[in-house]
Amino acid sequence: MDPEPTNNNNTASASGNPKDESNLKPPSKDPKKKDDKKDEDLSEEDLALKQQLELYVERAQDADQGLQKVALESMRQEIRTSTSSMTSVPKPLKFLRPHYGTLKAYYDTMPDSDLKKLLADILSVLALTMSAEGDRESLKYRLLGSEGDIGSWGHEYVRNLAGEIAQEYSKRVNEEANVDDLIELVEQIVAFHMKHNAEPEAVDLLMEVEFLDLLVKHVDKTNYKRTCLYLTSSARYLPGPDDMSVLDIAYTIYKKFEEFPSALQIALYLDNMQHVKEIFTSCPDLLRKKQFCYILARQGLSFELDEEMCADDEDREALQEIINNTKLSEGYLTLARDIEVMEPKSPEDIYKAHLLDGRASAGASVDSARQNLAATFVNAFVNAGFGQDKLMTVTSEASSGGSSNWLFKNKDHGKASAAASLGMIDLWDVDTGLAQLDKYFHSNDNHVIAGALLGVGIVNCGIKNDCDPALALLADYLDKEDSFVRIGAITGLGFAYAGTQNEQIRDKLTPILGDPKAPLDVIAFTAIALGLVYVGSCNEEVAQAIIFALMDRSESDLGEPLTRLLPLGLGLLYLGKQDSVEATAEVSKTFNEKIRKYCDMTLMSCAYAGTGNVLKVQHFLGQCAQHFEKGETFQGPAVLGIAMVAMAEELGLDMAIRSLEHLLQYGEQNIRKAVPLALGLLCISNPKVHVMDTLSRLSHDADTEVAMAAVISLGLIGAGTNNARIAGMLRNLSSYYYKEANLLFCVRIAQGFVHMGKGLMTLAPYHSERFLLSPTALAGLVVLLHASLDMKAIILGKYHYVLYFVVLAMQPRMLLTVDENLKPLSVPVRVGQAVDVVGQAGRPKTITGFQTHSTPVLLAAGDRAELATEKYLPLSPILEGFVILKENPDYREEA
Amino acid sequence: MPTVSVKWQKELYPGVEIDTTQPPYVFKCQLYDLTGVPPERQKIMVKGGILKDDTDWSKLGIKEGQKLMMVGTADEIVKAPEKGPVFMEDLPEEEQVVAVGHSAGLFNLGNTCYMNSTMQCLHSVPELKSALIEYPQSGRSNDLDQSSHLLTVATRDLFSELDKNVKPVAPMQFWMVLRKKYPQFGQLHNGSYMQQDAEECWTQILYTLSQALRSPSTSSNVDTVKELFGIDLVSRVHCAESGEESREAETIYALKCHISHEVNHLHEGLKHGLKSELEKASPSLGRSAVYLKDSRINGLPKYLTIQFVRFFWKRESNQKAKILRKVDYPLELDIFDLCSDDLCKKLETPRQMLREEDGRKAGLKLKQKGSASGDSDVKMSEAEGLSNESEESSKATLGEGASSAKNAQLTGVYDLVAVLTHKGRSADSGHYVAWVKQENGKWVQFDDDNPIPQREEDITKLSGGGDWHMAYICMYKARTIPM
Repeated sequence: MDPEPTNNNNTASASGNPKDESNLKPPSKDPKKKDDKKDEDLSEEDLALKQQLELYVERAQDADQGLQKVALESMRQEIRTSTSSMTSVPKPLKFLRPHYGTLKAYYDTMPDSDLKKLLADILSVLALTMSAEGDRESLKYRLLGSEGDIGSWGHEYVRNLAGEIAQEYSKRVNEEANVDDLIELVEQIVAFHMKHNAEPEAVDLLMEVEFLDLLVKHVDKTNYKRTCLYLTSSARYLPGPDDMSVLDIAYTIYKKFEEFPSALQIALYLDNMQHVKEIFTSCPDLLRKKQFCYILARQGLSFELDEEMCADDEDREALQEIINNTKLSEGYLTLARDIEVMEPKSPEDIYKAHLLDGRASAGASVDSARQNLAATFVNAFVNAGFGQDKLMTVTSEASSGGSSNWLFKNKDHGKASAAASLGMIDLWDVDTGLAQLDKYFHSNDNHVIAGALLGVGIVNCGIKNDCDPALALLADYLDKEDSFVRIGAITGLGFAYAGTQNEQIRDKLTPILGDPKAPLDVIAFTAIALGLVYVGSCNEEVAQAIIFALMDRSESDLGEPLTRLLPLGLGLLYLGKQDSVEATAEVSKTFNEKIRKYCDMTLMSCAYAGTGNVLKVQHFLGQCAQHFEKGETFQGPAVLGIAMVAMAEELGLDMAIRSLEHLLQYGEQNIRKAVPLALGLLCISNPKVHVMDTLSRLSHDADTEVAMAAVISLGLIGAGTNNARIAGMLRNLSSYYYKEANLLFCVRIAQGFVHMGKGLMTLAPYHSERFLLSPTALAGLVVLLHASLDMKAIILGKYHYVLYFVVLAMQPRMLLTVDENLKPLSVPVRVGQAVDVVGQAGRPKTITGFQTHSTPVLLAAGDRAELATEKYLPLSPILEGFVILKENPDYREEA
Repeated sequence: MPTVSVKWQKELYPGVEIDTTQPPYVFKCQLYDLTGVPPERQKIMVKGGILKDDTDWSKLGIKEGQKLMMVGTADEIVKAPEKGPVFMEDLPEEEQVVAVGHSAGLFNLGNTCYMNSTMQCLHSVPELKSALIEYPQSGRSNDLDQSSHLLTVATRDLFSELDKNVKPVAPMQFWMVLRKKYPQFGQLHNGSYMQQDAEECWTQILYTLSQALRSPSTSSNVDTVKELFGIDLVSRVHCAESGEESREAETIYALKCHISHEVNHLHEGLKHGLKSELEKASPSLGRSAVYLKDSRINGLPKYLTIQFVRFFWKRESNQKAKILRKVDYPLELDIFDLCSDDLCKKLETPRQMLREEDGRKAGLKLKQKGSASGDSDVKMSEAEGLSNESEESSKATLGEGASSAKNAQLTGVYDLVAVLTHKGRSADSGHYVAWVKQENGKWVQFDDDNPIPQREEDITKLSGGGDWHMAYICMYKARTIPM
């Protein structure tokens, strides 16, 4: 983690070592060779220096204190002036080496005095090159020495000292000895480092001695950004609770320098609402608060502002509106209009069958229910959020000419998905969406009603409304007779209130779990809905309800594919909450044998999702290494668990991809079919070429389940990117599998994913430069992936609407800049590949290979944007989503 | 009386007064005036759910200036159409065939790909199918042996099975009868049936069918198979030494394309195949002498079968070895210059008409192009016209073929309709596959039980020169012109 500081040479010379004869000497030759040679080989100057130093050593042992002092002072002078060179051992040090022992021995005999301290200083420096590994003599003499300015001996000395302090500290902690003197030294070193652009070293040392609080005192306006960047990125690699304390420090520093947006991001990462409140109360500027609200909205957090945070009622309402995401649809459509993709697309525009001449299926005369259902989904995903399409929203007059309403071109439960697709098309636009869906509530077909209910949930996904229309509309249907209608209402509530921890929902849904008459599918979807609403909350009551529901299931129920959703609902409650899951995990050990392992894996994978915890990844890999007879299902969630845990940071992600390759080679079928899904989650909306190739290979696998999972995952990694290569692959797959209805369905769905929102969307749960993880987004994806573990029974069966769970993760991948009145404002921005600048000195470039666009712009995975004009100042350091721009008061128009 | 604002869709109606003494229905009627949504379809969001008609206002605690939301439309309620659409999944299997666009595959019963591919090729001849349907189940004429009769019946049944199914068919019955009739196909090797030469199978089946379908019991006392596949040849046998010359006439079922070093194209191979040398006793010389036999086509069939002579008996390895040489064949074959003078004369008028028709089509295209784009790119439109013409004419011939118009005249131009390919190094090993053009003009590769759609340009790539599938038997269909 500690990057090699490249600037030490410069800073050392900058720190003011006066140049001197010794520096002007001819460049020394290979020191090793020279060591063996006799005095005669030394140049005249060297010889003089050597004799001089020997004289000093002799004098230093002189009885005359005055003489001693002069000798030691000149010795110090010689050493100090020569430590500027880093490439070889400084000459005075080298020539003094033979006398180290003598001086040490003499030191012990000396009486306590200033002179003794002076000698200790010199010995401490000499120990830099002389002392044996592990002796820590440099430190020892430093502590005995005069405690003068530590930097005067040069960087190398300080660095060496820091290393020894770390060792000494851990030793003393083990022995429970006093460390005060060390801390004093540390403080000096940290001050020195912070002054000399060596923040990573300072942070490293403080982490070693567990005294990060000290940092706050030493950061200043010039270096706090680099310090915090180093802190936040090193937090990813620290074991539990350390990472939290590190981030806490970063939060404190950001807050100290009023860098509130960054502080807010850390508060969100820590999921610390207290911090969030603090930020709101300590920031006086309304405009900046608005920017905070945009950040909160992107995280998908429901957050109520109170008077303390914003005194003015009207302002508070305006802020709350931003948090409630009510303007998301508007912003998205602004982007769409700017990019000119408003024209609705039909599924045929996506399939592009004309590029596959001779191969396309010829039978256009008869409708295939399966293919129409696929078209329904493709249409929904592609036109998501645009409010218009070519199948569902066309007026009946226009469509009556050729075919009747598209809704009725779907069979039975397909009609549910078709009606719900209206919700997807009007995504985020609650007013229009509800108006469109209203007429379907009056249908006499239960499937249509169920779809309309689901659609209400989809429209409201991520949007909050004061009137709570979703709850009002859906609540009445929760205890209807027809289980289809019930599931529609339950799942709709789950979508609309995901992450809100709304107690009304809990009171309405938990009784269903305990209802002995409720069928299994209703119970399963209730558990998922509750999991979504209370995602990552560790809510005891909900957990209890789901646990009881699981215990009540009969032996035969436990064998059903849908049962897997119950442990998942339980797991979602603990999403990313690590240790908090322990108690529930203990309870799960008492479950029926059939579900016990599955439950354990699901709980663990959810609890450690997005933590990058290497030990957990190893645990899951260990589970996958076992070979079982057919029928064991728990390894599927274990494989997904690897992806969920490892997706946290790039390095672990790459390692996980490689580990999954191994599983593919050695794993059994139930592991192999989960691997593509895990890959899909790791690279979601981020089509890495090698993963694409792996999935392409697997999409032709002899095992249909592996092939289906690979096809769906191809869609996932390309979701919302319009990636031409994946689109081409899928097109070829559509002709390759034209006869296999199941696989063709998967191919179509994947095509819908790739062109999601006509390429304006992302499914990535990570945002804000891959720092924050939106729990609801991840929860939605995880539900979809778990359902995909048994494709035949769930997605290809009558529960295809689980595909709509992706709505939780759907977000526009845009940068939309707005002015102070929140109206879109077009400014030039540079968009390029993000560069990791952690630990680099100065002001390195943060993007590479950039192009200049004017906002709104699309951001691909790994892209970063920066303003290309000085005219405005962004209120958030991270340019993603909605960013408010303020006019730069110092800006001068160039003549 | 509190005033509230009501939000409906995108509109906001400020200052709506609520008379709290009246039931909410009155309020709904107020909204009806504003929005046109009938009261019974209004859903008004209040605390704890939807406003009911009999709720007491006082319990809701409506505040002055509160914002209410109303959902509801005056839109017509969607009704299911009276007649729902018919889904392919619900159809009986026979009707699904149409939707799939090609007939079923045939299961491999153990090295029977030669038989499967042969049957798939023959199955593509509609005239043969209709002739077989007329074939009586029981009425066996005396000159036909029992096994031939059974084989004919089995062929008929197999063809109808293929037409009825979407899923692959297992040709068990046919396979049994074929082995009975021709025991050589039942040869065993290591306990399993051996791979056989598809050409042999093709010839034998056609022979049997020609025997069976010639029987006088059929209404028209003609040889159906001969009419469809028979090629009349006239040959001039000439002896250079003695100057003797004689004429012979014969009917064959397939033209042979000989492959030698000079042959790069089907046409050259066919020319080679029509010339042969033979040694026979010369009456004038009194000893055997070398005679040159030069054949020409005197009568054209509806379906022209061409066999690539790719296999020869290799004594050292004791097997039928294969010539891998690449021999190109066209999608459209003109054999005019292989015909005898008599036939040439007969063909002249129909060919003239065919040319005229083609020209007219191309000309029409040119004109249209010219008027549409102003400056017409002649080359482009020509090319387009050509491709169009071949497509349309093939469609025309297909249509005529089905109606079997008697007055259609042959032109000597043929279109490729089926290719039987072989992959491997000898006739008794490797794999046989049929590539058949369907009625909708699309090509389908029948690899045993697995039909795979193919592009037309891939069909001409089966001309050999590597280890890929290469054409062994090609079947061309005559392009006719009505007179």
